[in-house]
Amino acid sequence: MQKLTNLERIMKAVHRQEPDVVPTFEIDIDERVINALKPGASYEDFIEYMDIDAVCYHETRTDRYEVLDKAKRIVRDQWGAIKQYSGVSFSIPMLLEPALKSKEDLKKYKLPDPGWPERFKRIKEAVKRFKGKRAIIATTRPFATMRDSLRGQDDLFKDMIRDPEFVDSLNELLSDYYRRLVKNLIDAGVDIILETADIAFTNGPMVALKHQSRFIFPPLKEMVDYCHRRGIPCLKHTDGNIWALLDLIVEAGFDGVHPIDPVAGMDIGEAKEKYGDKICIMGNVDCGNLLSWGSKEEVRAAVKDCIRKAGKGGGYICMSGNSIHGAVSPANYAEMIRAIKEYGRYPLRLN
Amino acid sequence: MFKLDELTNSVADGQVDKAAELTRKAMAAKVPAKKILNEGLLPAMNRVGSDFEGGQIFLPELLMAGDAMKASIELLRPELSRKGAGYAGRYVIGTVEGDLHDIGKNIVILMLQGNGWEVTDLGTDVPPQRFCDEIKRGSYDVLGLSALLTFTMPKMPETINILKKAGLRDKIKIMVGGVPVNQSFADQIGADAYGRDAVEAVVKAKELLNK
Repeated sequence: MQKLTNLERIMKAVHRQEPDVVPTFEIDIDERVINALKPGASYEDFIEYMDIDAVCYHETRTDRYEVLDKAKRIVRDQWGAIKQYSGVSFSIPMLLEPALKSKEDLKKYKLPDPGWPERFKRIKEAVKRFKGKRAIIATTRPFATMRDSLRGQDDLFKDMIRDPEFVDSLNELLSDYYRRLVKNLIDAGVDIILETADIAFTNGPMVALKHQSRFIFPPLKEMVDYCHRRGIPCLKHTDGNIWALLDLIVEAGFDGVHPIDPVAGMDIGEAKEKYGDKICIMGNVDCGNLLSWGSKEEVRAAVKDCIRKAGKGGGYICMSGNSIHGAVSPANYAEMIRAIKEYGRYPLRLN
Repeated sequence: MFKLDELTNSVADGQVDKAAELTRKAMAAKVPAKKILNEGLLPAMNRVGSDFEGGQIFLPELLMAGDAMKASIELLRPELSRKGAGYAGRYVIGTVEGDLHDIGKNIVILMLQGNGWEVTDLGTDVPPQRFCDEIKRGSYDVLGLSALLTFTMPKMPETINILKKAGLRDKIKIMVGGVPVNQSFADQIGADAYGRDAVEAVVKAKELLNK
């Protein structure tokens, strides 16, 4: 097969077709890994240097934060939640206090601006640099925003039982914001939307299927439908064991699902066999122990195994089981990319 | 004779007001607080824990049951003598430094409390020295260390080493848990036990005290 552009490679896989080589990208790549492999490089330079097929802009990374206490690294996010950056290392701040402490707070709540120009500055630069060559992906996370910034997990989950109408109101509020945000992202030139709110834990769904169907999936389906009307694929990420949710994810119309979480014991071969004709399979290279502390040989073996199980006939994007976080060994990540390019060439010859 | 089944069901179903009302009624009927704890609340939390592990209920239902249990325990607290029947021991727990995740830790706390443990929660992002200071200060039976992030796992052996240096290691049993943690990591760092989930954490904590 003739060599495809990085964008074509990703799009072929997303549409469950066979590209020239199994594509790869990551939701997030920690600066330390970038700096170790290409000192001083920007994220975009690194993507080109490593020949990664897509740039991906994480919603929370482009959010607006107001510093409240510099020494303690406490900030207020754009939703009004108070958050803190961890003392050791984590690029996304963690919740201290949600924006809505009670139902009363909702009456006077004002949504942030989904058109905040700063958010789009970097994306527009990426469009200038990569449009038509590499896929430009932006992430959104409506349910995570509700579970985190807006209400906090424990209260939101209890609200689902003690005051479901309140959760419906939060959904309405957020749908309004995300409808406009997604429109703005697509207008800016983004090729793919990736929705990244976790909806499962290691042992299964976060909330019962009846709650998933009432509170989580309707806004997701609305987002997918909008993307499709604009001719844009929409992908779903969620950590955890999602066997019980895969039918809902497919029914919502998502084009791809990431990461078939290896830490939650998800088998990518089984996912490919059961859902590979309905949705693009993404991920599954363990970024917990393997990419952090495994040997290069183990990384190559894991990549080969993933491609063997999920690469047949296309429709697979080889990625980590979450992201390239700060503890990932840079050498192992480089090895992972080398192995994808080596073993992922179609027609596959892995046996 | 006062029947505690209804209290068990109301706690397991997460009916906070009803659990409090039935606890008041049981106390008014002179049912001893320890009996209410052992025969009303513990079966509820054990049922909820096993239903949660089995995937019959999810975190929202577990949290509501926890609230119902807390409402009942608050009413019983004045009557419950610290070292009486039903009392399991003192447990200090926290998420290690650099890690601000607390879902798993909070589920473990709920299950421990429901099983008669007195729990001190040090919260998240807890430096090794903070664990050491607390153990020096209080008399605890078990320390629980939680982590969700791979790169915060090294804080677990670091905490154990600080306890060793302070001469406190042999005075307390240490348990570890969290998504990236497993039995071989627990063995490697010299922890006394690994809890795969909240139910197992409670079983292992009890076993540690019997050792």
